[in-house]
Amino acid sequence: MGALLFDMLLLSRGLIVSFRDLLESTGFDVRVTATEALPGLGPPVADAVATAEALRRLPELAEVLPVRFGTAAVESGDRKTREIAIIGSETRRRGEWRVLQGTDLTESTIGGRPDMVVNRTFARAHALEPGSIVHVTSTLPAKEFRVTGIVEFPFESASEGMAGVTLAGFALAFPATDADEADLLLVASTPGVGTEAAVAAIRGARPDLHSFSIDEVLERLRQAEFSYFRQVSFVLATIASFFALLLVTTLLTVSVNQRLGEVAALRALGFSRRRIVADLVAESALLVGGGGLLSIPLGFLLARGLDSILRQMPGLPLRLHFFVFEPRALALHLGFLVLAAVIAATYPVVLATRLPIAATLRKESVS
Amino acid sequence: MREALNLFLLLLFAVPSASGGQDESAPEILVSRNLLRERGLSVGQVVMLSADPRGEGARPFRIAGVYEPTPDPSRFTAKRLEARMHLPDLLALTADPDEARAADSVGAINVVLKDTGDADAFARELGARAPGVSVVRATAGDDEHFLIIERFHVAISAVTLIGSTAFLLALMVIRADERREVAGLLLLLGVRRRRILAQALLEGLCIAAAGAVFGVVFAAVTQGAVNAFFQWRYDTSLIFVRVTPAIAARCVALALPLGVMAGLLASWTLLRRPVLDLLRR
Amino acid sequence: MSAPVAIVEARGVGKVYPMPAGRVEALRDVSLTVEPGDYVAISGPSGCGKSTLLHLLGCVDTPSAGSLLFEGRHVLAMGEEERSRIRLRRIGFVFQRFYLLPMLTAWENVELVQSEAGMPAAERRARTRELLEYVGLGDRTSHRPSQLSGGEMQRVAIARALANRPGLVLADEPTGELDDETGEQIGGLFDRVNADGTTLVIVTHNPALAARARRRLAMRSGRLLDSPALAVS
Repeated sequence: MGALLFDMLLLSRGLIVSFRDLLESTGFDVRVTATEALPGLGPPVADAVATAEALRRLPELAEVLPVRFGTAAVESGDRKTREIAIIGSETRRRGEWRVLQGTDLTESTIGGRPDMVVNRTFARAHALEPGSIVHVTSTLPAKEFRVTGIVEFPFESASEGMAGVTLAGFALAFPATDADEADLLLVASTPGVGTEAAVAAIRGARPDLHSFSIDEVLERLRQAEFSYFRQVSFVLATIASFFALLLVTTLLTVSVNQRLGEVAALRALGFSRRRIVADLVAESALLVGGGGLLSIPLGFLLARGLDSILRQMPGLPLRLHFFVFEPRALALHLGFLVLAAVIAATYPVVLATRLPIAATLRKESVS
Repeated sequence: MREALNLFLLLLFAVPSASGGQDESAPEILVSRNLLRERGLSVGQVVMLSADPRGEGARPFRIAGVYEPTPDPSRFTAKRLEARMHLPDLLALTADPDEARAADSVGAINVVLKDTGDADAFARELGARAPGVSVVRATAGDDEHFLIIERFHVAISAVTLIGSTAFLLALMVIRADERREVAGLLLLLGVRRRRILAQALLEGLCIAAAGAVFGVVFAAVTQGAVNAFFQWRYDTSLIFVRVTPAIAARCVALALPLGVMAGLLASWTLLRRPVLDLLRR
Repeated sequence: MSAPVAIVEARGVGKVYPMPAGRVEALRDVSLTVEPGDYVAISGPSGCGKSTLLHLLGCVDTPSAGSLLFEGRHVLAMGEEERSRIRLRRIGFVFQRFYLLPMLTAWENVELVQSEAGMPAAERRARTRELLEYVGLGDRTSHRPSQLSGGEMQRVAIARALANRPGLVLADEPTGELDDETGEQIGGLFDRVNADGTTLVIVTHNPALAARARRRLAMRSGRLLDSPALAVS
């Protein structure tokens, strides 16, 4: 039960902590969209080029990067078409992706083929390597791209093929879209200025756009998409706590009941109520503490197992975790153990300190 | 599909018509109960919808009715602010006027085959015949989603079961120890261990059965409260908890042997001790 | 020179227990004085109130009527904490069922009450050794109660009762769970305890044990039959 409780503490903020790490790994701390919708789910930002230029002139902002999202069909050697996600951006500035093999994206076009970086899933499925040619068949005629490198995207999932191209390459792959639009503007605040100041500057310059910090994104996710796991963690933590308390209280109560004669004798010998209380609380602390400390390594093991189950959900970023260790969770766990020891000892303490000494001794003698 | 999604969002910009709902020629739409309540709309009201975030090109639509969105377990945390309209109306609203064929373009076409076993072959053939079109078999992504959730719940149940069994074993050991002297006396009098164990088995069975029944009844009683809470929390009609006869039977089938085993184990560890040890205080 | 203060002085003491089936008057109008150095045995049939009287004398319980003084102080005026302190430092108890702590050794059982009374460690060690040798268990100090016979357990209990140099030792049926021979040994030990200056009040069914006392009192139906008691040389 202690292990389950510890795990639920890890789960309660695990997604938020993990998602924050993912968002922060890109190196951009502000996101700008046309509406309140999450990036890629709402209308695009119009006049993206001019908008980006205007925002770059704000002293609070160090970097502004327009990004496009799309889904395209690509043809593999076996003539099968598969869908992949395509991100259109500029050449890498910060942590948009991490190059694992080959070289990074450039604006160059060799043999009329724009550059493309692909993730491992896509590369494995189509036996791609730097230098390979990818046919995007969503357009007529199909467009060819040259793979320059294999990369890891922060938000790529285990089963999804992903590719990154330049904005020009994106326009080529999706000719029906407006080249001067962006689904999202990634913004990095100027060092020392702070995210809040950057957000305020953008809102001041372009109140028609929606800009939000990582904290705001996470708060929204916490309230909506991640709320189910928070609820589950709360419910299960409550149940685990209840049963743990019940167990310890029961064990202590039975122990006291079995030793009523001893307790009465100790009281008759002059041991004060306070001393009896201290003994019982110490016993409770030992029970709770022993189990609680053991629950920490068990909880870690269990968390790994549960995390591996949940991470099998389709579409989840590979690097996202549900159970994330925070010192805060450990502190809460330990704090709860202390509280549990005191609460669990309450009823047995009342039993022991209120027992009538003489009547108990007499009853024990007769029995 | 993207246009449909956009429409969900453009309804954030839905505003009551200046004509105060008198435009009888306006095309009809249905709005979700959630949207109706969120924006304070009413049936018969005329609203202006626009596909543009700035509200340009807004057109009037009359709310003909309200519908309850089909609960989607994979999106239950999302606010279901949505509307349904006739496809031509949607196309007319969202089509790019500069694009000649925009009014005849859709994001996706859903196909139901007569024989679903042919889905892969059909997708391949259609993809070959219609280049530029992505033909994809509808994945069981959502089912897999729930398989994962189910596995998670089963894992949690297993942990809870182990913890509960440990609890039960502790209680059974305490119970057995409380009757140590009685057990010692019976053995001293010549009663066989087997007989005492049979008694323990019967008692364990009764306790386990009572506990299992209590658990099932408690779950059945509280499922209403749980569903009410989550339905209120997420503004959905989704059922989150349902205690079915199969689930109840599974619980009892798990609880009974565990309870019996715990009782037997506790009694056996006691009865293995020498008789005089049982009688000594 | 003033007369020494009586250890315990009970005047017209009564004790009533409210029971579901009705009030039970366990003691009625009992008057008794125990002087320092006394060796008193109280006998009587089961349920006559012997143990109840012992519990009142030992400040374990308080009377429903009458007055009770311990070393000149009114017990009824004391709170539970104060009575607890008196029991720890001024009174020793020996029970019929020994009530040794099963997880502690003989040494630890005797040392426990001294530790509770705040005796320094070195003094505790010396006193514990002295007492266990006094009761004849100098070579069994590391044995737990389960490894001792009934008589040995009772001797450890007597050592524990003497640990804080009490003014009064109360024993409730100390040989109740022992055979005659062992009971005799315990009786002999009590003789020594009293001879060494400790005041002793024993409640017992055992005529042989009762005969060792200098004052023998009888009880019936909650009353002392011999009051004031006859001194027995």
